[in-house]
Amino acid sequence: MKKFSLLNNFLYILFATIVSLIYLPILVMIVFSFNSSKYQIMPFRNFTTTWYQRVLTDSQYIEGLSNSLIVSISVSLFATLLAFFCAYSLVNSNFKGKSFLNLFFLTPLVVPLILIGISLRFFLTSKGYEPSLFLVAIGQSIFVMPLAILNLSNRMSQIPKNLEEAAWSLGSSRLRSMFEIVLPSCKFSLIATFILTFTFAFDEFIIAYFLTNFSITLPIKIWTSLVTGFDPAINAIGTIVFLTSLTLGLISQILFLKK
Amino acid sequence: MTFFFIFPIFHTLRLSFLDPNTGVFTFNNYFAFFSKDIFYDSFFRTLKLSFFVISFSVILAFPLAYFICFVVKKKFRTLALLILVAPFWTSFTIRAFSWQLILSDKGLVTWLINKLTGYEVKLNFLYTMNASIFGLTLFGVMLITLLLFNSMITIDKRLLEANSDLGGNKFTEIKNIILPLSLPGLIIGSVLTFIIAVGDYAVPTLLGGGFKPVLAQLMLSTIKGTFDLNTAATMAILLVIVIIIACIPLLSLIKQIRFEK
Repeated sequence: MKKFSLLNNFLYILFATIVSLIYLPILVMIVFSFNSSKYQIMPFRNFTTTWYQRVLTDSQYIEGLSNSLIVSISVSLFATLLAFFCAYSLVNSNFKGKSFLNLFFLTPLVVPLILIGISLRFFLTSKGYEPSLFLVAIGQSIFVMPLAILNLSNRMSQIPKNLEEAAWSLGSSRLRSMFEIVLPSCKFSLIATFILTFTFAFDEFIIAYFLTNFSITLPIKIWTSLVTGFDPAINAIGTIVFLTSLTLGLISQILFLKK
Repeated sequence: MTFFFIFPIFHTLRLSFLDPNTGVFTFNNYFAFFSKDIFYDSFFRTLKLSFFVISFSVILAFPLAYFICFVVKKKFRTLALLILVAPFWTSFTIRAFSWQLILSDKGLVTWLINKLTGYEVKLNFLYTMNASIFGLTLFGVMLITLLLFNSMITIDKRLLEANSDLGGNKFTEIKNIILPLSLPGLIIGSVLTFIIAVGDYAVPTLLGGGFKPVLAQLMLSTIKGTFDLNTAATMAILLVIVIIIACIPLLSLIKQIRFEK
């Protein structure tokens, strides 16, 4: 057994190294968000909350934030609802080409976001649409749909089929059984999917970058301040966004486990 | 979804075959692409980058998934996995940027080395391709570990017992049982990582810098800079072709699963 424990020790060290590499940048960002120095270099000066105050009073950040909220809430609402019906028909019916349709719904997963953004821009501007937040919402819906469908059909396939069949034989319509049996049993999954798609849409940058011109979302604002000279307020906004999405992500995971 | 997903791709395909000035059908965009050094180089740079990212990610993710699945006690398994993948929900861009703080020539690492040893060192790591590989690999490790774990957890523990009963060691266990049975997760994870690495824009820009652009960077600067839609469409279609090729292993996997049923 001696040899194996050597292997195990190695694995423990590897795990610790990777985890610290993943969390190190986040930690540094949080620490620097309280640093009073204007430059992003060591050493650490004094403790300050100036950057947080800046973010909360800067109209551009506020505008980006509200735009992002509007877009991602509509994206996640739309995608969750649509995914519910897609998943329902995928799980509960058998028709020719079902497995093909199944694959088709998942294809956006294997397409880089930059391609979704770029081709939508080409296509929609050639059809006379101007880049706007509405187009961003369309693009992001396409990107989060597969995730929503996967999550929901996962849950739906666990619902015993005979529950619904019982309802039908007692004279319930298909629609009614869907609303009274499937919907309640997917309650937690629906909320979890909503939160998950929300966080993904909220953080998404490249699709939004291609599909809007003047009304920017928060990730675009962050990106432009990153590339055009550094602004320490980014650490503050990054910390806020990180903690919010981490909390939301954990909540959605817990809801998934709860079912 | 057909309207907003399939049509745009075909529209891009059509654009890539049109002459920018006259609008007639032509293959010239593709010839032009491969005849200009900057395009040609960036194409192969992108492939090289993704190749390294996958290799490193797989090498690191396999032992990690093994560790979480077979070494960590059952009670802590979910926790360990959660710790590893929780940053998935956080902004990729911001994480990439934080690495700038650490790796830049006036960043945390050089400062630490200076404090500890008194030497002024220059890392010369930020704004190189190695930095891009590093940033994307960390992401790939998270993704592949998660998918590998999902495959590994379904492995019947009795198989492992049978292996040691029949006199097998750790090596045969991994080679004959764990590796073949977790292959689906490994393939899906690698393909997804490849797709992300090939199409990513944020990490190559923030960590890799702008002097040696990858395809995604070039595509963006072509659109926002010169408005040459046809050239940009050509690049997009080349990317699509690369991805379709990368998805071939995925298709064989689907066939395999169908046969088993």
